[in-house]
Amino acid sequence: MSLKSAMAHRNLLYLLSLKELRTRYKKSVLGWAWSLLNPLSQMVIFTVIFRYVFKAKPLAGDPSGLANFPLYFLSGLLPFNFFAITVGVSIGAVQGGAGLIKKVQFPHEHLVFSVVIAQFVTLMIELGVLTVAMLIGGNMVLPWLPAMIAVMCMLALFTTGVALALSAANVFFHDVNYLWTIGSQLLFYATPVIYFPASVGLPALQYLARYGPTGAFITAAHDIMYDGRIPGVINLVELMVLGFGMFFLGAWVFNRLSPKFAEEM
Amino acid sequence: MSNIALEVSHLTKSFRLHSEKTNSIKQLIATGGRNKFAEFTALSDVSFTVNEGEVFGVIGQNGSGKSTLLKCMAGILQPNAGSVTVHKRMSALLELGAGFHPELSGRENIFLNAAILGMGRREIAARFDEIVEFSGLESFIDAPVKTYSSGMYVRLAFAVAINVDPRLLIVDEILAVGDVTFQQRCLEKFVEFRNDGRTIILVTHDLGSVKNMCDRAIWLTHGVITGEGDPSDLVDAYTEMMLGNRNRNVDGSVRRGSGELQISSVELFVGDNPEPVKRFRTSDNIRLRLNYTAAKPVPKPIFGFEIESLGGATVTAPCTRDVGLIPEMVSGEGHVDIVMDAVGLLPGTYDIHTTVTDFNRQHEYDNVHLALRFDVMSGKPYETGGLVTMRPQWSMGS
Repeated sequence: MSLKSAMAHRNLLYLLSLKELRTRYKKSVLGWAWSLLNPLSQMVIFTVIFRYVFKAKPLAGDPSGLANFPLYFLSGLLPFNFFAITVGVSIGAVQGGAGLIKKVQFPHEHLVFSVVIAQFVTLMIELGVLTVAMLIGGNMVLPWLPAMIAVMCMLALFTTGVALALSAANVFFHDVNYLWTIGSQLLFYATPVIYFPASVGLPALQYLARYGPTGAFITAAHDIMYDGRIPGVINLVELMVLGFGMFFLGAWVFNRLSPKFAEEM
Repeated sequence: MSNIALEVSHLTKSFRLHSEKTNSIKQLIATGGRNKFAEFTALSDVSFTVNEGEVFGVIGQNGSGKSTLLKCMAGILQPNAGSVTVHKRMSALLELGAGFHPELSGRENIFLNAAILGMGRREIAARFDEIVEFSGLESFIDAPVKTYSSGMYVRLAFAVAINVDPRLLIVDEILAVGDVTFQQRCLEKFVEFRNDGRTIILVTHDLGSVKNMCDRAIWLTHGVITGEGDPSDLVDAYTEMMLGNRNRNVDGSVRRGSGELQISSVELFVGDNPEPVKRFRTSDNIRLRLNYTAAKPVPKPIFGFEIESLGGATVTAPCTRDVGLIPEMVSGEGHVDIVMDAVGLLPGTYDIHTTVTDFNRQHEYDNVHLALRFDVMSGKPYETGGLVTMRPQWSMGS
């Protein structure tokens, strides 16, 4: 994908993203509310399980002092769901774009980019709702929002890279689609969404939770939204390396494979 | 010298024919990473150029590589060797309505489809009214496309495609869409395109449109160009090949048919002259003799002939069934005589084709293309144009 062709087709990218957003909740009564109801229902389930079944106590945010399971879950769930859903939908979007790929010449990566953009818009709305919930819960997150958006942009780059690589590979091996279902579940548990990294017993696992590829992003999100502080410099550098590194790796893979799409589909 | 719009040079494209396509990792591991495949060459060393302002046709049988060539030109498939260079803004119409989303309205789909075809937003906005008008779907434009009939769908798709405003248009078999009125409008649009000096590449089975619309054509057989040049010559050669089991004779005539009963020769006589001739004058009395040989007795054969001008117009094509001359049985050798008095053919060169069929005109015993060529020289009356004279009686009044 050359930057030139991507620019020349930016109108297509805009319209494809719009299509993603417009058609997602067509024919559903609750429409956009679904994008909020999903993480909310997950949050309720986790809260009930941890609070009342396991009788666990939430750790307090440092320095925010906030000790609240639902808010902790949401600040990790929203970014993680963005990552997992975007990759899954992208794999389907490229496969589902076969009719187009076989008949029209256009930058195939826009099929992935449009999904990322549409999902990112959704994420921003969800984070907006979370911010309101945080403020109600007494956690003053407003000063940290720019940092959160910056971290989410890095996450978007990382997600795009994974989505590009896997959606391209899936054209050649449809197993990728099924592997991703398992892989995203494994990643979910390897990422501190429903637990606190500090409470992980094994040092190796704690390390993975904090600095693993998805763990790093979710830890940063917790730092900002829950704890109310800017993540450490090393964390931020790691996020940038992960974001740009994965993006370029994914773009390289996609570039190598996309000329053969029409033949394989 | 006109500019080159598209250049294909030494294009080769082959596909791997998997015994079963390896689409799962299990299979990949099972085959040890090596796919067992046979190579199939769809195009081999194809080169041609299309000049600006030309209407260029590509003909060929199914499986001759037409679609592969088309997809390589459109940039959808990557060639194994060689290159395609496009010098003008290109739009390839391989399928109408690619990327239409059923839940979106006609309006939204126009924008999306035009963007897929490479148009910018401002450009689309500027042409939007034109597109809607061309489709004739003004009152349905805000309804979701899924509520459209298939005809409406195709009309909207074509309206978008044709308004992309390319300098080079590649079209695949899509001229016949919609009802007659809409087809007429599409045809007009194509003619308008051509008159604008735009380039059109037509890939089609419709030999008529190649003959009528194209300036130049190529003929593909098994991925190789077997002919290039004048479309009507090429189409003739192609049809000839397609019809099969024909033998070209030394004199240039072409024969086909089952052969039980054959026209061995055709002779032309003027008046009572017993010597056959190859030329006569307008208004001469002539006699045409079809000599036949029957290898075995043939019941109720129908003899016919056609006189065709060099330009390809059929002047006349009568047969014995028209006049009820139907012999119960024909065997051995014999002839059929046709006497025509004061033949009104005007000066020029004409060809005679002959046919012998069964009574129902279904089975062809014999068909000789170009059995005889003759010239007509000027006689009385003389007319400057046309093929035949109606012997007009002119008068004036006031």
